Amino acid sequence: MAMMVQVQDLAKEFRTFRRREGVWGAFQNLFVREYQTVKAVDGISFDIAPGEMVGYIGPNGAGKSTTVKMLTGILVPTRGVVYANGFVPYRDRLRYTKTIGVVFGQRTQLWWDIAVIESLKLLRKIYDVSWRDFQERLEHFDQLLRLKDYLNTPVRKLSLGERMRCDLVAALLHRPKLLFLDEPTIGLDIVAKKNIREFLKEINRRDQTTVLLTTHDLSDIEELCQRIMVIDHGRLLYDGRLQAFKEQLGRWKQVKFFLKDRGDFAELESLFAGDTLQCERLDDLTARILFLRDQVSSAEVIKKVLSRLEVRDIAIEEESIEEIVKNIYQKRNPKL
Amino acid sequence: MRKHLTLLSDYFTQYLKVRLSYKGDLVIAVLTSFLATVLALAFVLVLFSKIPTLQGWSFEEVLFLYGFSLLPLGLFNVVSLNLYDFGNLYIMEGKFDRILLRPVNSLFQVIFEEFRLESLQEVATGIAIVAYCSVKLNLSWRVQDLVLASSVVLCGSLIYLAVFLSLTSVSFWLEDRVGLVPPVFNLLTFGRYPISIYNGFVQFLLSWIIPFAFASFYPSARFLRRRDFDLYFYLIPVVAGLFFTLSTLVWRQGVRNYQSTGS
Repeated sequence: MAMMVQVQDLAKEFRTFRRREGVWGAFQNLFVREYQTVKAVDGISFDIAPGEMVGYIGPNGAGKSTTVKMLTGILVPTRGVVYANGFVPYRDRLRYTKTIGVVFGQRTQLWWDIAVIESLKLLRKIYDVSWRDFQERLEHFDQLLRLKDYLNTPVRKLSLGERMRCDLVAALLHRPKLLFLDEPTIGLDIVAKKNIREFLKEINRRDQTTVLLTTHDLSDIEELCQRIMVIDHGRLLYDGRLQAFKEQLGRWKQVKFFLKDRGDFAELESLFAGDTLQCERLDDLTARILFLRDQVSSAEVIKKVLSRLEVRDIAIEEESIEEIVKNIYQKRNPKL
Repeated sequence: MRKHLTLLSDYFTQYLKVRLSYKGDLVIAVLTSFLATVLALAFVLVLFSKIPTLQGWSFEEVLFLYGFSLLPLGLFNVVSLNLYDFGNLYIMEGKFDRILLRPVNSLFQVIFEEFRLESLQEVATGIAIVAYCSVKLNLSWRVQDLVLASSVVLCGSLIYLAVFLSLTSVSFWLEDRVGLVPPVFNLLTFGRYPISIYNGFVQFLLSWIIPFAFASFYPSARFLRRRDFDLYFYLIPVVAGLFFTLSTLVWRQGVRNYQSTGS
């Protein structure tokens, strides 16, 4: 099967000049400029198959946006190969952009001062969408997102959630095969987030739209993606299935015990004295035991506690992907 | 190409809708343009009444040169708004990202996303002055003259566009390019006077480096029946085409060099 996106050894370097400080520095800047080369993306390779939804994460400045900008044709790579939907994005820009949709959560692509529908009508012409397709798709989007209430409102008067829905519609009007989403749920409330995630699932299911999603909100990824790519310092640290990501990289597990008596904590602590696991007191009647999952099992921990104590309740938790990711960024994870 | 032509009217309609959504603003703009036209005419008459002749050019002839120069300049000003602010608006604020994401020529989008219709008052003022001087100087305008005049006016606008587009493109490499525009803009007024009053260097500069003389002086000389500049007159489309092509090449190179903002 032909890949929707093919990236090979892709890199982007920026040359920025270092500004000196102060008046004398500013004067020097006029004549002598010291340049620095920053490697924003430093040789990454991956493929994305048609219909896949891929989560792309990384801390600020890791190279996420730069990658997306090269994939969408905004930036010309310093080296490496990009093919997307059969095009070289920056070279075949006019033909390529007709087949993709892009949503930047922080910026709208709609005309700020006029009604949403006017923007959509102009986009219809820009993307050569026939009037019939336009109406049909608008109807379909309306069923999923309930747009009609604010189609005639100027964009500047929309709430963030409404504006985001309109931006999604604007990006999908020409039924792109490839959709790039950058922080699509940033700043939205839970209901709006859910609505937008459902919408994206439906679009992906119905049209086989390939989606690359960059986000800081990992629950977006857990809801939508089976595959995750992690970038830091311009290099890919992980590329694989989300489930495997959690299994391989989640090292910690924790069991919470809800105690019956205040004095029970001392007893609990003495039980595990000398073991590698950590015993913490969260409040008077709650204790937490943290352990490495490949050393002990939660069953063993629970058995040991119950043999000596009566407790009100027990809760087992795995390390969340937030925490795993944080560990990766901080280079604390020995597996990487 | 054909798609872009229809899109031009769509972009223009979109601009009108935006303007019409602020009714008060629009009324004031129309009124001030009208006032500006009247004042500009009065100003020109006062100013030029002090200059009886200029190296063999009569008062009406010099006034004609001025009036004619307003035509290409006014048309250029209608579409040039985004060129001046390009560095701030498109590069610094990152609006250019969105431009590159649409299947439309990038220069086309930047130029036609904003208009300054008020500048049509400059064209109106120019036509009024040219008409007045034509009567005074007994110049007759046949239909073919009007067609010819319109085409060289368009070429003139294209020359202004080429010069300022090249300056704008510098923003792709340098953040602080603003310093370049005012001196060049001042040079623009030099093209309004008989080129023979300048020394050889300025004449060369205005003809072949920053060819403002081809946008206003050389075309007007022909309609004033000053035959010694005929050769330059026929070169107008060549110069306009050449400089415009060069400026679009600079633009294209700039787009390839575009670095986009942080995130």
